[in-house]
Amino acid sequence: MKRTTVYQLLGLLVALALPLVLGEQDFLLDTLIMMVLWAFIACSWNIVGGYGGMLSLGHAAFFGIGAYTSTILFVHYGISPWVGMLLGAVLAGLFGLFIGAVTLRLHGPFFTLCTIAVMEVLMIIAINWKSLTQGSSGIPVPYRPGVLNMMFDSKAAYFYLALALLALSYGFTRWMNRSHFGYYLIGVRENEQAAQALGISSIRVRLIAMVISSALTAMGGTFYAQYIGIIEPMHEFSFALSAQIALMAIIGGIGTAGGPIFGAVLITLLGTVLRSLLGGAQGGLQAVVYGVLLVLVVLFIPQGVVPWFRQLLAKRKGGTVRVDRAEPV
Amino acid sequence: MDIFLQLLASGLLLGGIYVLVSVGLTLVFGVMKIVNFAHGDFLMLGMFGAFFLFQLLGVHPYVSMFIMALLLFALGIVFYKLIVGRTIGRPHVVQIFAFIGLSVALQNLALVLFSADFRGINMPLSSAVISLGPIHIGVPLLVAFLIAAVITVLLFLFLHYTYVGKAIRAASQDRFSATLMGVSNSKIYMLTFAIGIGLLGVAGSLLIPIYSVYPTVGEQFALIAFVVVVLGGLGSLPGAVIGGLLIGVIETLSSYFIAPSMKQLVYFTVFILILILRPNGLLGRPGDAEEAV
Repeated sequence: MKRTTVYQLLGLLVALALPLVLGEQDFLLDTLIMMVLWAFIACSWNIVGGYGGMLSLGHAAFFGIGAYTSTILFVHYGISPWVGMLLGAVLAGLFGLFIGAVTLRLHGPFFTLCTIAVMEVLMIIAINWKSLTQGSSGIPVPYRPGVLNMMFDSKAAYFYLALALLALSYGFTRWMNRSHFGYYLIGVRENEQAAQALGISSIRVRLIAMVISSALTAMGGTFYAQYIGIIEPMHEFSFALSAQIALMAIIGGIGTAGGPIFGAVLITLLGTVLRSLLGGAQGGLQAVVYGVLLVLVVLFIPQGVVPWFRQLLAKRKGGTVRVDRAEPV
Repeated sequence: MDIFLQLLASGLLLGGIYVLVSVGLTLVFGVMKIVNFAHGDFLMLGMFGAFFLFQLLGVHPYVSMFIMALLLFALGIVFYKLIVGRTIGRPHVVQIFAFIGLSVALQNLALVLFSADFRGINMPLSSAVISLGPIHIGVPLLVAFLIAAVITVLLFLFLHYTYVGKAIRAASQDRFSATLMGVSNSKIYMLTFAIGIGLLGVAGSLLIPIYSVYPTVGEQFALIAFVVVVLGGLGSLPGAVIGGLLIGVIETLSSYFIAPSMKQLVYFTVFILILILRPNGLLGRPGDAEEAV
């Protein structure tokens, strides 16, 4: 077996065993569940943002679509969130297709600005369409435990579900790393004209990436709604949430399969540690540190922590290093 | 008819404020090809500065305008040296996220130092109104509009008729050739960024008699500034003027005829449509949006 495969299996085993070891320590399990959920979302963002080089800062839109679709169906019509999750994914996928199609000509900061604007529009709609969304006060999700309702008595069940979601997007990214589709996507990111000259349909590749990334992100939204128990437009469609998703992938290392996971672990841990050190208020001093760290990472380790660390290790051994990419888009 | 004239006047005045908030953003983009995602947070600093100058020292906002312009100009140089200069010519992810990190840090620093309270100043000026026939105009809005006009004209003259201004425009048109002609790009960039931020010191002081200030106040203004600047054409000064006035009028008309809560929906829709149909804006240079700038 290859060494990476061994590491992956080991990581999976450790992850599976964690709830058993921790027992019912709610705080730790809570942190772990959110960590895995963010890792899943960051991995999903990475498909578009990292491999595709389309730096979306509106991914909260898809997260929100997922959360609202399943919650509205569940609360108003009693439809199982499992069905809602799939419908939300389809809806978000279609929406991603739409955004991808209308932004085909836009690159770099222009694409980024457009994704922000689209998310803001959804937020305004969610706030104002009161009969459907209950406006800015949000929708509480009634707690009715049951496998069919995607609500569980034990936190361990949520943890395993989040882990399964993470496996989905991580698996897809691993597959992308060695598939034609992945190479096409990277080719389009690096040089669209050259890729087109080689016969790659850059439009198709970009759209597929958008659809998959949006659909996966929406599934995370449904999970979040069922786990947290309330959804609000000001959070679900917020710029802060979008930025956080992108940041995890960037700090870990965009355009690599493992980077976003590591980034999510790092940021969640950092957030928890800073909160306990610097006080529990929302925002505040820990967010200042977080912002400064972000600037430092982007300026000095723009490839992300994972590839940087790999390079360091290789340098110490004196060997050559397989660099996924020197510097991201 | 009267109501229409009133709406038009209010819209144009509001547009003046948006022009004021946007010119720095478009200048920095035009010259440096960098989108300053922390633009609104520098405006927030300008507003807080003017607020405290008034509250603690009794300095009138129209005086603190000059002080804040200088202070933010200096701050612009500091941040250029620390961060912005290091992002020039780097990939988009570095440029965009360095500014977002800066924005997060500034907002939360303001939260720690000043708390999340809304603060406004209370002076007779804030509620003064002039009546021109059937039209009523708030004095601070009118002053802000006039100063915005003066600043835009001065900036235009500076860019077209001074040596430094010409160098800035040269660097924005072709940074490589400008270097060959003896223009130091890094100095030009530093100056441009400092001017762009310094203008927010003026804007902040002019806004403080009208709006309350709080740590995240910049977000709303930054989004409007992006809309204005993209509408006019990123990097175009006349474009920012037209874009600002248009957005002001659109916002005022749509709050009256549709609903106040819908005004944002209207201008974001305009924004998205412009990005899709005419990504270079009304007066932008062709190719800016299509090429990966």
